[in-house]
Amino acid sequence: MNWFYFASPSTFYRLAGWVAPWAFAAAAILAAAGLYMGLVVAPTDAQQGEVYRVIFIHVPAAWMSMFLYLVMACYAALSLTFNTRLGAMMARALAPTGAMFTFVALWTGAFWGRPTWGTYWAWDARMVSELVLLFLYFGFMALANAFEDPRRGDRAASLLALIGVVNLPIIYFSVQWWNTLHQGSTVKFTGTSMHVTMLWGMLLMAFACWMYAMGATLVRARAIILERERRTRWARAL
Amino acid sequence: MNHQYYLWMSYGMTAIAIAVEIATLALRRARALRAIEAERDLEAQD
Amino acid sequence: MNGFTWAFARDLRIAWRHPGETLLVIAFFALVCTLFPLGIGAEPRILERVGPGVIWVCALLAAFLSLPAMFAADYTDGSLEQMTLSPHPMMAWASGKIAAHWAVTGLPLTVLSPLLALQYGLDGATLGTLAFGLLIGTPLLSLLGAACSALTLGARGGGVLLALLALPLFVPVLIFGAGAAEAQAAGVSPAPHLSLLGAGLLAGCVALPPAVCAAIRIALD
Repeated sequence: MNWFYFASPSTFYRLAGWVAPWAFAAAAILAAAGLYMGLVVAPTDAQQGEVYRVIFIHVPAAWMSMFLYLVMACYAALSLTFNTRLGAMMARALAPTGAMFTFVALWTGAFWGRPTWGTYWAWDARMVSELVLLFLYFGFMALANAFEDPRRGDRAASLLALIGVVNLPIIYFSVQWWNTLHQGSTVKFTGTSMHVTMLWGMLLMAFACWMYAMGATLVRARAIILERERRTRWARAL
Repeated sequence: MNHQYYLWMSYGMTAIAIAVEIATLALRRARALRAIEAERDLEAQD
Repeated sequence: MNGFTWAFARDLRIAWRHPGETLLVIAFFALVCTLFPLGIGAEPRILERVGPGVIWVCALLAAFLSLPAMFAADYTDGSLEQMTLSPHPMMAWASGKIAAHWAVTGLPLTVLSPLLALQYGLDGATLGTLAFGLLIGTPLLSLLGAACSALTLGARGGGVLLALLALPLFVPVLIFGAGAAEAQAAGVSPAPHLSLLGAGLLAGCVALPPAVCAAIRIALD
């Protein structure tokens, strides 16, 4: 089996074009289900009232912000190891979506914090490291586009992505390591203390965000492939 | 500020962010296709 | 003579002959540390409270100022390429350059910090923790800065791009360094902060020189 069949921009272009609509459709369905669970079915919280429902955006966005950086770093490692163009193109495609989710996590976190903790921003470990993650995404995008030669930008940005991956464990474990405003993990692999409808709302929204990210990334990857490969015969034959 | 304000600001900004992302994606794809058109025209001139 | 000592001695000699860059960094550090009390107001309690953080931020910015020049001169005149082609292992001379950079920027900042911290009315133990934290932290800043500087060789966007890359990576060093001095000022043990800073330095010494070498190779392709 040729593991590198889809490592060619032309074959991957077709694959991405096939997958992306299904990803968006799945995202829409899961989001509808998740929002229904979260906004209609799930009961009012005893302590926080209605405002806790921000959790159905905030937590999935935060999970995606970290997950997409991890995937981006994996593609960066792949592109540096195998010296492929497509790995770096995928990393470039992931970065803006990752940055978007990081921004949404920070924004929704601020608007959840104001009514519950009394402040929009608190400089606790998790918030600061999430903000650093946003800057890492920006730095990746800026560095990738800072060179005349796109391959040079690919390699430099991929190396940067790998250097910055050390931030992910810091974000994840910060609530364990420091006694700060953010509570500890409520959702663990061993079980959770959340109400079942709240949990399901959150999980459905998380999968919806994942499918959306997949669709958006693949569409962006297709655009990047077209931009970079516009002088090839297969692109001009489109 | 009642809690509706915070919920609207959160969900609203998310909707805006997603809309902006999809719009920029559409624009980027259109620009890429136009660039390929230009390449095709250049080739046709040869 | 091995690659490390050769590069270390060479960069020190260059810095000795062209002291402008070094003096600029030290002068900037001293100036900004002095500007803060003028801006905030001279109330002792406030100065004592913000002192460690302000001095750390000034040290960070001063260290950042010297980053663009770390590899740029050698890159433009071709010595970087020659050094890469030499039989000496790249890690050796790259580490030598980073060590020389620290000796010329981080070390003077560390030595100067107690003097400047006197303006903030910090007590002796806090001064010591501040200086010790800087002693551990500034090499880590040099290592991180070297990686970012090597990545941006020949890039458009210059200093701003370097700031966007380097300052987020500097943040943990700042948090633990300033945190150590503030803990000491509050009467609590600074050991946890200093230990984490030390761990970061050790991890950086192991993981960052290969990254710097990879970045230099990318720049030279």
